[in-house]
Amino acid sequence: MTFSHPTRRKTLQMLGLAGAAGALAPNLLVSAAHAAPPETPTGQIVVGFSQEPTVFNPLMPRIEVDDGVQFSLFDPLFRVDTQGVIQPALAAEVPTVANGGLSEDGLEWRVKLRDDVTWHDGTPFTAEDVKFTLELVVDPNFRSWRTLGHNLVRDITVVSPTEITWRMEETFSPYMSILAETFMVPKHILEPEADRNTAPFNNAPIGTGAFKWGNRIAGDHLELVANTEYYGEGPYIERLIYKYIPDLTVLYTQFKSGDIDIAGVQYISQDNYAEASKLPGKVVNVVPTATIESIYLNMGRPQFQDPAVREALYAALDKQTIIDALYYGLPTPSETYLPKQSYYYNGDLPPHEFNIDRANKLLDDAGWARGSDGVREKDGVRLAFTNSTTAGNHLREQTQQFVQQTFKDIGVEMTISNLPPAVMWGEYWTMSQFDTVLVGITFMSGADPDVSARFHSDSIGAQGGKGANNGQYVNEEVDALLAEGAQTFDPETRKPIYDKIQSIIRDDLPMLPMFQYATVRGHKEGIMGIEPNINTRIDTWHAAAYYWDK
Amino acid sequence: MNTAINPAASSHWWNSRAMQRFLRHRLALFGLAMLVLLTLACVFGPYFLAYDELFIDLRARFSPPLTGDHYLGTDPLGRDIAARLLMAGRISLLVGFFAMLLSTLIGTVIGIVAGYYGGRVNAVLMRFVDAFLAFPSIFLLLALAAFISPSPVMITVIIALTSWMEIARIVEAEVKSLRERDFVQAGRMLGLSDTHIMFRELLPNAAGPIIVAATLTVARAILLEAYISFLGYGIQPPLPSWGNMLNGAQQYLSSAPWLAIIPGITITIAVTSFNFIGDGLRDALDVRTEPG
Amino acid sequence: MARYILNRLGQSIILLVIVSIIGFSVLHLTPGGPLSQYALTPGMTQEAMDRISEQMGLNRPLPVQYLDWAWRLLQGDWGTSYRDNQPVLDVIGRHLFATFLLMGSSTVISIAIGTWIGIRGATHRYSVFDYTATVGAMIALSIPTFWFGLVAIYLFSLKLGWFPAGNMYTIGDQSVLNYLHHLIMPSVVLALVNIAVWSRYMRTATLDVINQDFVKTARAKGASERRVLMKHIVGNALLPMITLAGMQLPNLLSGALVTETVFTWPGMGRLFLDSLGYSDYPVVMGLLMFSAILVLIGNLIADLVAAAIDPRIRLA
Repeated sequence: MTFSHPTRRKTLQMLGLAGAAGALAPNLLVSAAHAAPPETPTGQIVVGFSQEPTVFNPLMPRIEVDDGVQFSLFDPLFRVDTQGVIQPALAAEVPTVANGGLSEDGLEWRVKLRDDVTWHDGTPFTAEDVKFTLELVVDPNFRSWRTLGHNLVRDITVVSPTEITWRMEETFSPYMSILAETFMVPKHILEPEADRNTAPFNNAPIGTGAFKWGNRIAGDHLELVANTEYYGEGPYIERLIYKYIPDLTVLYTQFKSGDIDIAGVQYISQDNYAEASKLPGKVVNVVPTATIESIYLNMGRPQFQDPAVREALYAALDKQTIIDALYYGLPTPSETYLPKQSYYYNGDLPPHEFNIDRANKLLDDAGWARGSDGVREKDGVRLAFTNSTTAGNHLREQTQQFVQQTFKDIGVEMTISNLPPAVMWGEYWTMSQFDTVLVGITFMSGADPDVSARFHSDSIGAQGGKGANNGQYVNEEVDALLAEGAQTFDPETRKPIYDKIQSIIRDDLPMLPMFQYATVRGHKEGIMGIEPNINTRIDTWHAAAYYWDK
Repeated sequence: MNTAINPAASSHWWNSRAMQRFLRHRLALFGLAMLVLLTLACVFGPYFLAYDELFIDLRARFSPPLTGDHYLGTDPLGRDIAARLLMAGRISLLVGFFAMLLSTLIGTVIGIVAGYYGGRVNAVLMRFVDAFLAFPSIFLLLALAAFISPSPVMITVIIALTSWMEIARIVEAEVKSLRERDFVQAGRMLGLSDTHIMFRELLPNAAGPIIVAATLTVARAILLEAYISFLGYGIQPPLPSWGNMLNGAQQYLSSAPWLAIIPGITITIAVTSFNFIGDGLRDALDVRTEPG
Repeated sequence: MARYILNRLGQSIILLVIVSIIGFSVLHLTPGGPLSQYALTPGMTQEAMDRISEQMGLNRPLPVQYLDWAWRLLQGDWGTSYRDNQPVLDVIGRHLFATFLLMGSSTVISIAIGTWIGIRGATHRYSVFDYTATVGAMIALSIPTFWFGLVAIYLFSLKLGWFPAGNMYTIGDQSVLNYLHHLIMPSVVLALVNIAVWSRYMRTATLDVINQDFVKTARAKGASERRVLMKHIVGNALLPMITLAGMQLPNLLSGALVTETVFTWPGMGRLFLDSLGYSDYPVVMGLLMFSAILVLIGNLIADLVAAAIDPRIRLA
């Protein structure tokens, strides 16, 4: 077993894929022609978010926008760059077998750290902080959002202030990506706290990031100030402000009027793309994300036991019309759960074809006969089910009604039952109480293709499992392949394994994949350094590099 | 109805003073006329339109009003707004009406029992009324809507469960003031059961305020349905309601303002009509000015 | 009097207990919970959610959770927000200003305009003005507030560009003028319904006073119409309006909630919807208790004032 960076060839290949998808923001290529960043941080940038960031302890459960802010305040040991390659951040180098950071079997880790990093309060950052962080995430009294991977770590030893070693209980290659999502927290601040869940730190965090905590007006905005001692690139702006605007229409209006400089998560509605792209003084791009929109089927329901039913439903899904008409042609159709930009994306899957006749024939052949009310039935099971999504997402609601009509044409009755988010994603989702759900899911964790939590039969919450296999999908071959994939760090060895998994899931159709999301992002002309990164779920992952070209 | 001891009864209801007063109330008549028109339009209108309210035509999405046969334009799925508006009217008016019936029933029963028995019973029941009134109504609505799958029937129930308190208060006050009156005493002397006295003797005498409050409750129920459906927790698509037609309209305010304006004006007209009628009934049935 | 107030306070406490039990049960029995928002986070697992819910004490029996909450409340501890790990009172406190600003300004607008319309309607009874005001008030009471807000945004923000579409101020410009600019549209929208209520009430109240003997006497004594109006009518009719103001408090609060949603106003209404959306139980419970207390105080003041001005109402 070996670990290596993707080779130069592979990197280029990935670039090619990204280019082919028409993905990367064109302004990136232009930006080289513009002025260099300023010597000292100047000016401020206001980023609008449609949800309010409230979690500032980066080890606690968090949502997208919390991520966005934490990226500005904290650093992980490694970070995933725009090409999906893992780069050192607080670490001096990414551990590999070649540089002695990883043992041949992937069990022994040795991480060298930078020696020029200080916390925002001036205290030097050392290996003690890393040890504290890795221990805190598995502390049973701490509300840690993720213990996966961390719970395999044993014998953490601080060799020197800039060097730390540990041993893994078993080989687990996704851990590299997990570490890239684990921000380091200061031992000298948090260790003395009796209860880390309610420590003052959580509302006035001290990190190593490019920006320091300024102040927060709850319900309105959050102000960060430049960390002039930052070890890495930037920051080039004095103040970074995250403004909470709970309504997408208002977010867009404020972007138009110039009240906010960057339209952040959830970005600009696809409905406004045509108008937004013509706004003077604004740069608006379509940026793909790793989120895959699909109709998730609950495989525990009798209706979905028959593969013919799943195939027929998929054939009756008029993807292209949904994309073209409702989403203005912005997203790209998908056959799998991975984004096209991923190195592990399988491009050889059979393409979907919308064909009502074929769908009808599939169902006829499988013995699903139409009842008196026009709804098909077999062995006492009616081909009727509910479809749910978060109430208030108008594009999804339009999609539902459109799909409902085409499904009716093949004798399938789909009833819409939308729920408030807190109910929708509660036990209804986690304990598989739904029939079908229209949902956008990011399957990758960072750049890693491991989907054990989503598709391994051990992961079914409703059956006592530990993961998030909410569709109750069971396939022994997939289970075995997932285990195999986590055993090796070498991308070239892993690729065929994950290709195979995608191919099986495409055949089984536990979810009907629709498209890969494309978000409409906008910022004022003159803001430089904005780089979309499909391996993070937020646009402000690299705010340190932002500057005004003036 | 026991006419012998019911002072408000008259030989012909259309000759009653209340009726004559109502007929002199121009706004009330106007409201009644609007409401009749609206109801007729919702009942028969859809049969005269070229499109079905569920017919999706993505090529015709966002047609402005007066495009071809789309008199009021189309929605984001290209469905005819006129057809949806009238079908939605059936739902919204029915929800409003039945929510009124149910909440009037709950409110009346609680009010009568509390008012008639007084003492502890009254204290307990009226504290409950106060407690319900102390909640922001939207909290109860949203919390209850999260409980169940929102069918029109359940939405009706939920709205009724959050709007019975006013009527309970009104009825309680009314019954309290009536309970020591002669005809009630007489009923007790005759050995009539409490239930009989409450619902046969007291209830008809409290009818005026109940009718007025009930009319205003319809107005309120229509507004509540509109609000929760607007938020997406009410009547579920594709079934149209005036509220869920507004859901998502916010998104298209600048490009397709008719999506927001048409259902909003319709709701306002319907609610205003009920409020006009309620006002007229209040004047016509006002117990304070009614002799006897 | 003192006994009456004590008695009322006792009743209020019982009421608060009922409110808290209903609120707590409805909230906790609703499917979903504070962890739902993390269910779609990449890498989130059932194991992690089970562990966190154990740590937060969410899987204890409901009565135990309620008693725990109530016991802490009695000791002055309103709990800690699940969403941003801050004390509930701090969280509410930081949203109070925005809501009071909105409610205050809209009350000032609605009382000023409503009083004027009401008195003028009463003194010019059955005039065109009176009739228009009556019809106008009925229509104003019938317009869905959220929809009226949308139309106002469409007209004055999107089409005319006169006012901002939302928020309380522009970042970097916290001048009074900037606040006012943002405040006008939401407070007028919120005031609309209240103008209707106030003007209707003021009209009735003024009519009641106009026909009373002392006003007739004053007029007979040759006092000018204006003087009589100002001194007697307004003076006498304003007191019942305080009662109304107290009774209107819950409606005003509900109205503010809807208005804040439409105009993305960072007040308690917005906080309430957000907290409800994230099932942030401690904050929702805090807001429920807070608003219930406000309503009770409003009612108490209303009753006391009513008793003070009308000796026929005996406080017993």
